[in-house]
Amino acid sequence: MAVSLSYDLLLLLVISSLDWSSTPGSAFLTDHNRMTSSAPVEPHFTECMSRDLETFRCWWSPGTFHNLSSPEELRVFYLKRNSPSSEWKECPEYSHLNRECFFDANHTSIWIPYCLQLRGQNNITYFNEDDCFSVENIVRPDPPVSLNWTLLIVSPSGLSYDVMVSWEPPPSADVSTGWMRIEYEIQYRERNATTWEALETQPHTQQTIYGLQAGTEYEVHIRTKMKGFPKFGDFSDSIFVKVTEIPLRESAVLLTLVLTFGVAGILILIMLIVVSHQQRLMMILLPPVPAPKIKGIDSELLKKGKLEELDFILNGGGLGGLPTYISDYYQDEPWVEFIEVDEEDADCGEKEDQKSSDTQRLLGLPQRSVGCFSADSHPDDDSGRASCYDTDLSEQDTHLLAASLLPGQPEDEEAFLHPDEKAPASETNKSPLIQTESEGKPTWINTDLYAQVSNVMPSGGVVLSPGQQLRIQENTEKESQKKGTLGEDTSKLNKPQFQLLVVDPDGSGYTSEITARQISTPPSSLVPGEGYQTIYPQPMETKPAAPSEPNQSPYILPDSPQTRLFAPVADYTVVQELDTHQSLLLNLPTQQPPPPCLPQHPLKAPVAIGYVTPDLLGNLSS
Amino acid sequence: MKAASICPNDQTGCHLLPLANLFDRVIQHSARMHGISDDLHSEFELYFLPSKNQIGRVSRNCHTSTILTPNGKENAQRIAREELAEIILKLLVAWRDPLWHFHQSMSQHDEFTNFSSNKSLEMSDMVHELRKGVLKVVEKMQMLGIISNSVGDTGSPEALLTSDSAEWRFMKDYDLLYCFRRDSNKIQNYLKILKCRIVPKHGC
Repeated sequence: MAVSLSYDLLLLLVISSLDWSSTPGSAFLTDHNRMTSSAPVEPHFTECMSRDLETFRCWWSPGTFHNLSSPEELRVFYLKRNSPSSEWKECPEYSHLNRECFFDANHTSIWIPYCLQLRGQNNITYFNEDDCFSVENIVRPDPPVSLNWTLLIVSPSGLSYDVMVSWEPPPSADVSTGWMRIEYEIQYRERNATTWEALETQPHTQQTIYGLQAGTEYEVHIRTKMKGFPKFGDFSDSIFVKVTEIPLRESAVLLTLVLTFGVAGILILIMLIVVSHQQRLMMILLPPVPAPKIKGIDSELLKKGKLEELDFILNGGGLGGLPTYISDYYQDEPWVEFIEVDEEDADCGEKEDQKSSDTQRLLGLPQRSVGCFSADSHPDDDSGRASCYDTDLSEQDTHLLAASLLPGQPEDEEAFLHPDEKAPASETNKSPLIQTESEGKPTWINTDLYAQVSNVMPSGGVVLSPGQQLRIQENTEKESQKKGTLGEDTSKLNKPQFQLLVVDPDGSGYTSEITARQISTPPSSLVPGEGYQTIYPQPMETKPAAPSEPNQSPYILPDSPQTRLFAPVADYTVVQELDTHQSLLLNLPTQQPPPPCLPQHPLKAPVAIGYVTPDLLGNLSS
Repeated sequence: MKAASICPNDQTGCHLLPLANLFDRVIQHSARMHGISDDLHSEFELYFLPSKNQIGRVSRNCHTSTILTPNGKENAQRIAREELAEIILKLLVAWRDPLWHFHQSMSQHDEFTNFSSNKSLEMSDMVHELRKGVLKVVEKMQMLGIISNSVGDTGSPEALLTSDSAEWRFMKDYDLLYCFRRDSNKIQNYLKILKCRIVPKHGC
């Protein structure tokens, strides 16, 4: 008997050595191997399990080894190896329906190895050493209960969401006292998927599942295990989690509307800014090309060639209108000289001696207080006087012949100065001048009494261009030829008593015979560098000893378009004063060449070289 | 004897609060210790395939088998709190030297990874720390008058000599680990029961 038992034991040992299990108490995992093996299977325990670490149960199967008539033939015996003198005891509670042996709390000892065996009839023992275990190692806790889920948050896009799953610990496990420390493992999957997604085991009774897709239904279940022990319990019942997709249409439409309106608003703002600052923007983006521009003259008129209009504008629609006009525009044009003709004297001039009146008018004879000329009215007492005195100036009328000079149109322009005082014989001399003047505008060029004034010096002198003088000389020569009777006059003419400052701004170097005669001024009197000749008027007695020196001059200056037209005037005069009619009162020098003298009238404002503006005239006259 | 009450109002729950915290820390420590022992044991099972019938051999060879320990929850709840505390301390004392020697033998073997070596050292240290912690808890309990002063220091050399035989020297490493794993689970459970009995809580 003992030998058979030992033999059986040896046989069992050999069998068990063939398919050993690694962990004690886990011998039940080798059931599959036994089943699949070709050898007949003996009765064995399939599984022993504890749910709460206080009780446990074992299940067995009869196997195919023997034909057992009834399941009750097999009996379970167990052994607790807590003392050397332990013995096999029978299962305290059978459940033959389930082939289960249940050990209650009284029969359960933790941390003590149990060994189980099956005994059949005739005391055949089926014992496997691997079926020894400790209860704490076979614990498989129950699954949790009361699973439910709550929506934590939905992503802004509405496509994914997070869910918090919470549950209760299994009621069978004594978690409150801490006797069992349970960990939970959540697994979830999509409704129709095959594989489960497992989260990390953790001991808390709630857990968050992140990143679930909206509109998809998910299945979630949980299983438990003892902390520190390997075996998991069964899965709980599944719960289903689903979040319907938030309809994005409304929010999307709203968003697109807001975006479009915002963009449109911004665009409108930009347009408004551009339009309001159009000028500035245009200046920044497309700076205007600087073009030559003549102030006061519309370039359009020039282009169109409306010279008459232009002439009208320049010459002024009426007296008084132009000076201001011109003074504004010709502020810095040095070659512009404004000489105004006082038309009020026309009546007087036409009365008797038109010539003389005209001459007087032109030459600025002093007896023009009423506006009429009288040859005798001019004071003789100024012949020996110095050039600068005011009283005579105030009594005299002066006229300003307003003219503006345009390049290229010199023939249309007239510029001449009325000398304020002249020699007594000047009036007769001037008569042909006037005569020629009355003939028309262009004829005055023929006389030598007229010169184109190109500039007014601050000293009071008037700058004339000499080109005119030549013509004047020619004309006077013609005149003299024509009117032989007036030889005296012509001679007198040739000796104009008008004192004009012959200035040649452009410098042609021409001097007429007249001027040559009258030139007694040494070259030193000429102001070098200014480009003009200052010729001091000579007394009438000067003999025309010096030959005409049309081309001799201390300064030979380059030609200019202006100078070919005008001859230099022999005399010069200093602007003494301006009378009420805004005409220049020139100082007629006497025998001696008067030195250029600044008018001693209170010149409050500095006189511009080019001309005297009306306001300045006002200052001067005041 | 009655300890001086810390709380002014002498509420039952008030002076137990620091004790409950102490218990929690100690229990946490013991749980960690058990986790480490479980890891080491699993690692040993991977490298050193155990021979058959480990249960039988182990049950014979665990040196702490001589210590009578309650084998169930009910038994643990039934025995006196002082006794339970004393058992815990005995267990901790019994494992102090074997674990130290185990660590020494582990570090000498080249085939062990650093991971195992660190864990054995950690395990050895934790036993020390846990013992000190439990002693502190016992002191506090005695101060509060919860338990009597019969719980003595079981770490005395005399106690060691009587309880601790040199059986552990003959144990193999794997058996030692298995035994320690079981005993650390015992300690953990006992501490939990003790806390539940001393510090009343919902469900205890």
